[in-house]
Amino acid sequence: MYTLGIESTAHTFGVGITENDRVIANERDTLKPLSGGIIPREAAAHHFRLAAEILGKALNKGGLRLKDIDLFAFSQGPGIIPSLKVGASLSSFLSKKYGKKLIGVNHCVAHLEIARLYTGLRDPIMLYVSGGNTQIITYYNKNYIVFGETQDIGIGNLLDKTGRRMGIPFPAGPEIEKLAEKGKHYIEMPYSIKGMDVSFSGIETFVSKIIGRETKEDIAFSLQETVFSMLIEASERTMAYCLKNSLVITGGVAANKRLNEMGRKMCSERAAEFKEIPMEFAGDNGAMIAYTGYLMRDYNQKDLDIKPKFRTDTVEINYR
Amino acid sequence: MKTIAVGSEAVVYENNGLIIKRRVKKGYRIREIDSNLRRKRSRAEFRTIKELYEKGISVPRPVKYAEKTEEIWMEKIEGERLAERFTEEDAKQIGIMIADLHNNGIIHGDLTTANIIKKGKKLYIIDFGLSYHSTKDEDMASDLFLFKNALKSKHNPLYNGAYPLFIRAYKSHIRKEFKGIDTHLKDIETRRRYNESY
Repeated sequence: MYTLGIESTAHTFGVGITENDRVIANERDTLKPLSGGIIPREAAAHHFRLAAEILGKALNKGGLRLKDIDLFAFSQGPGIIPSLKVGASLSSFLSKKYGKKLIGVNHCVAHLEIARLYTGLRDPIMLYVSGGNTQIITYYNKNYIVFGETQDIGIGNLLDKTGRRMGIPFPAGPEIEKLAEKGKHYIEMPYSIKGMDVSFSGIETFVSKIIGRETKEDIAFSLQETVFSMLIEASERTMAYCLKNSLVITGGVAANKRLNEMGRKMCSERAAEFKEIPMEFAGDNGAMIAYTGYLMRDYNQKDLDIKPKFRTDTVEINYR
Repeated sequence: MKTIAVGSEAVVYENNGLIIKRRVKKGYRIREIDSNLRRKRSRAEFRTIKELYEKGISVPRPVKYAEKTEEIWMEKIEGERLAERFTEEDAKQIGIMIADLHNNGIIHGDLTTANIIKKGKKLYIIDFGLSYHSTKDEDMASDLFLFKNALKSKHNPLYNGAYPLFIRAYKSHIRKEFKGIDTHLKDIETRRRYNESY
């Protein structure tokens, strides 16, 4: 069974194809604005412009034609409205044209499913860190439940905003990581953890005030150490609370080596398992939508509208 | 001395009916962050337990704080972690307990059913490492939010029955206008949703 999945929740447009539970194609393109952050309409325009090309590339990679596809899937949310609309309308058109079923997939659930597939971890805690999302999710009582979350801005957002103030272009994460490696002196920053939740607005304000007074290297180092410690601590709290013993980190910020190192260390100290997933499947991608769509192939969904504020814990999971 | 629990941040030992809690080094954090946090939290925890115990709130009886080893010594409560045996009826008692904490100007900061011990029918609150002094509506709301989320996530099947009991009990015991706290509670809930702030 061939499933074609389309991802378009934010600034990445991706098309993935699975043959049953195996990924055979995963193509994408990410909008990188020249200055500042993402403007929703520009992201949507980017997706429209490249949709046909990326779709074609994925089909080529899989050696398939559209009429060979048995099932279409798209990311229904959460995300930015104009971006979501591109994937929703394209997949709905294809499903009607070829007379095949369409499945709406929750973006966060898809991240967790592809992480399970590529790590082989059966029941991990997932720390999902990207631009807009910062969540600690795990399977509980037949649902994926968000145990911990940011109470204000996403971690990627914090890095981008801080980066912009220091003159680093979007996305700022990789450059901040490089600077941090050269930082020597730790500047104490607000460490804000509330149960299994975290909060970044205090640290954002704090950092905005010391830019120019401290070196970029020390700021980057102290920022990373503080916020990553908070995230790993919140993950550990969730593991202890839910009595689970494995962790995977996913989302765009999972590319950060220091964050992974901290996750690995935390797990080894509590005799838990830690696995990294290939970066190709950590950032937003179409393969995770195709794969999750395949898992959900027997669902009868009535509501296939986009859901910009789609909550992870409202998805009924009846395939596991 | 025997180890009786290994939590996410501390190891708990038992010695002649006393509990000794020691926050363990976290290798993933740099020393500057780690030692500072452990010391700050252990001290805050002991101070809070002492203060609450003296005011007659159901917390373990504090014995001493060992400054050098940063250990908290307290009396053992012969009960069990509520997380695995939570029932709807407990919700009311928890609402009253949290209101009592807040009436005394203490915010717990980490309210879950894992931080409540049940002995017979009586409940005790533990783990005050993230606690602090505050009488602000938004800080009280933050505690309520944490407990609400704990119910929703870990005890989802009981949530619909338990939450109204919890909040009703809290409301009738809190010596403050509930409306202000409630406004902040709703605000945290909205803020915590997916953030579209590009």
